[in-house]
Amino acid sequence: MTATPAAASPPAATRNVKPLQIEDISVRFGGILALDSVSFTVAPGTIHALIGPNGAGKSTCFNAITRIYPLASGRILLGDNDLASVPGHRIASLGVGRAFQNLALVDSATVIDNVMLGRYSLTKGGFLSYAVRAPWTMKSERRHADRAAEICDFLGVGQHLHRPAGMLSYGDQKRVDIARALAVEPTILLLDEPAAGMNASETAEMSELIRDIRDELGISILLVEHDMGLVMGIADRVTVLDFGRRLADDVPAAVQKDPEVIRAYLGSDDDERQETP
Amino acid sequence: MSETVAAPITARPAGARKTLLLKTIGALALGVVVFLLPLYLSSQYLLVLMWVFTGAVGAMGLTMLIGQAGQLSLAHSFFVLVGGVSYAVYASPGDKDTIGFGLPTLLALVLAVVTTGLVGALFAPISGRLRGIYLGVASLSLVFLGFWLANQLPSIAGSASSGRYAPSLKLPGFDFGEQNPSLYVLNVEIGSAERSFWLFAALTALAYVAGRGALSGRVGRGWRAVRDNEAMATVMGVSVVRQKATAFAVSSAYAGLAGVMVVWWYSGLMKPDEAVDFGTYGTTVAISYLAMCVIGGLGSLGGSILGAAIVFGLPQLLPLLNGSTSAGSLSGTAFTPVVITNLIFGALIVLIIMFEPRGFAGLGQRIVRLVRR
Repeated sequence: MTATPAAASPPAATRNVKPLQIEDISVRFGGILALDSVSFTVAPGTIHALIGPNGAGKSTCFNAITRIYPLASGRILLGDNDLASVPGHRIASLGVGRAFQNLALVDSATVIDNVMLGRYSLTKGGFLSYAVRAPWTMKSERRHADRAAEICDFLGVGQHLHRPAGMLSYGDQKRVDIARALAVEPTILLLDEPAAGMNASETAEMSELIRDIRDELGISILLVEHDMGLVMGIADRVTVLDFGRRLADDVPAAVQKDPEVIRAYLGSDDDERQETP
Repeated sequence: MSETVAAPITARPAGARKTLLLKTIGALALGVVVFLLPLYLSSQYLLVLMWVFTGAVGAMGLTMLIGQAGQLSLAHSFFVLVGGVSYAVYASPGDKDTIGFGLPTLLALVLAVVTTGLVGALFAPISGRLRGIYLGVASLSLVFLGFWLANQLPSIAGSASSGRYAPSLKLPGFDFGEQNPSLYVLNVEIGSAERSFWLFAALTALAYVAGRGALSGRVGRGWRAVRDNEAMATVMGVSVVRQKATAFAVSSAYAGLAGVMVVWWYSGLMKPDEAVDFGTYGTTVAISYLAMCVIGGLGSLGGSILGAAIVFGLPQLLPLLNGSTSAGSLSGTAFTPVVITNLIFGALIVLIIMFEPRGFAGLGQRIVRLVRR
């Protein structure tokens, strides 16, 4: 058990954001090596993008970090904690929050109920203490619910708190998903294709939001995204994967010029016309 | 997108206070009605309602397991049996034929519920590995196991021909089984049927309130996450294995309470079935519990009370409405109360699955929305 900020709203500045070091991780499915000794480091307080063509291993990498897939080898260090050595459900309490690519919300539950799931490892209480509504349990429940509402408000879904999550628009559901990941009070936030299925203006809003999260909470963000405009616009550093191997790892401007990346990933000249801020 | 709200942000909905007030008034009114019912209903109708309460408690457990935690179980009647047998063993003094500890009845009740919960938890290694219909079929085997064990161990479960007896609940200074102390409300003597009715109503309310609290809190959120997406649940910090086991244990504990109520309903008689497919703890009952959950709306505690009213209540009520008290007088017709009820709830299940998969709970929500509009 590590000490987690149980206080309702820990100021961003006090969050001890540590680097996330991916060291030589490999993931194997039968005979297929989905990730082949990939290493990179997400520096504290930065937006780090993970890009690559379809099947490059980006999502596999996410699933390895969050322990959905077992590692064949390698270490994942968040500060001094090796994420690979703890059970999957302990990752959240170590400060890893994750938003999902294909909206993994509980549709029938309200927005606040969904976001409160993010507080799961910050709260205590089993069936009995909730059944008898123990005063201390209810008090902490209210405190955490208020914090969850605050996070929803920050994400711009504060007006939907008591609506079923499934009834919200796609864009709002994405925001609820991110709000739930932030409710974990993470020091690193994993975003799996936050702009997938969004139009240009929604994508612009999303990239603004991601920048806001970094600036206001001071946490690191690791992001998988196909929208090159978004990636090159907001990422502090970019790691490129192809066929499970790391192709490049540099600042966006340098990655864009990397001939190997251009050949393997961007392919034609067309894709090179990505505006940088 | 930024924090522009001046007032402190809270998670409470705007009309929370008003809703709470209305709910409190509603609960109090319902409480008064239930309290006064025994004064106006004859004991045979009270028995019907008590049977409904028994079914409701069991169905609440099952609906939480299926509808909230996403695990199918067809073993509910087995856990009802375990609850009844445990209570009989703990509460009755025992004699040369049967084992019994003769513990105070309240303690025996709590222990019986806990024991059944633990037996449910023992099933966790299996329930954690199987899903959907596979888990359902695997759990069905428990009903057969329970039938066999109960018939093999008459010293514990009572013999299949004559059963064994367990005492009714005796609280210090108040006996639910007898007129001790004698009690009059509005000049109506409160006998054992009336007392038991109150007890059953109180236990049902307790089961409902407890379940409601857990489902709206951390536990319920964990279960729903496990139900909808196990990977997501894990990432959010929910131990999937543990929550599946907890859900099974809680569901079984509810069945255990229902089992104790079954024994009380039969005036303390704990008798194992003589056939596995028909009786109090057989496969038919297991399916009946499932039917209650589906009719009420999977996952809805209030719905399971309605489901119990139809599945458990109708077969008891129909002969009374028909003006006869013995089932025998209807034996000349093919449409016995049981057959009529089976037809009704069979049709209901088909209609519900076709038109409102959320059952009565879904219908209720629709009505609420229409009224609010």
